[in-house]
Amino acid sequence: MSIRLLLYLAILIIGGLFGYKGFGGKELDSKMGTIQTVCLLFLLFIMGLRMGLDDKVISSFLELGFQAVVISISSVAFSVILVKLVKGFVLKNTQQGE
Amino acid sequence: MSFKIILSVLAGIGVGYFILPSEILQYTDYILDIGLCLLLFFVGIDIGKNKDVLGKIKKIGVRVLLVPVMIIIGSIFGSIIAGFILGMPANESGAVGAGLGWYSLSSMMLATYSSRLSALAFISNVTREIIALLTIPFISKYIGDLESVAPAGATAMDTSLPLIAKSTNPQTAIIAFISGVIASTSVPILVSFIIKI
Repeated sequence: MSIRLLLYLAILIIGGLFGYKGFGGKELDSKMGTIQTVCLLFLLFIMGLRMGLDDKVISSFLELGFQAVVISISSVAFSVILVKLVKGFVLKNTQQGE
Repeated sequence: MSFKIILSVLAGIGVGYFILPSEILQYTDYILDIGLCLLLFFVGIDIGKNKDVLGKIKKIGVRVLLVPVMIIIGSIFGSIIAGFILGMPANESGAVGAGLGWYSLSSMMLATYSSRLSALAFISNVTREIIALLTIPFISKYIGDLESVAPAGATAMDTSLPLIAKSTNPQTAIIAFISGVIASTSVPILVSFIIKI
């Protein structure tokens, strides 16, 4: 995990330096938006594909699907609520456009 | 965009289940890694272009840690509540929720405790990842950018990060990465601690 973490961090920093130096200019900016969207949708497709290909996912879901859905929905809902509760404090003194 | 996201995930599941042979699964690792690295590079460029974003994160300071802490507390509390409804012991449901979406690690850690709980941790955290991918754009649009980090849990530092970055802004993307790192680091500690309670 630590190697992966360092790899992701390094890629983000390299990308950040490219962006900071104004890499590509405005022309490439619009094209990059499209490339980014296509890559993102492809990545999501692959992630879905992995779930569909994994027999363990399907067999576990058929057996424990209801419990899994209840637990995951409840986990997500409570974590969203708690983040919402502290949002004002966390973003104090910053101007976030939302 | 949200519709395209839902369609991509569901199409992937459908094609994987009905059309492609399961031997292909091992090769998807490489595709996923390359795609993820490329997208993280784009996320980095977006962050770099917004020159004031690091200043904003500096202003937030240690308060940023509240985001992963709340995600962790909410996930464990939520799963214990769900477990209560389902008639499960609090330590078991809590340990499943403490996986924070990291399905491979949480299921592996619970395998020695019970194979059924291990399978439940696996499928619950897979389901959490699917829910995250489907809801992040909606949560950012209708509830708020910072809240959209919450469903991702541990995956906010990798697989969910490009989606969070696309749906929100560079500041939230940095917070998501920090939150994902802390959540991921906490998973092994929390799962092993909670199951022993």
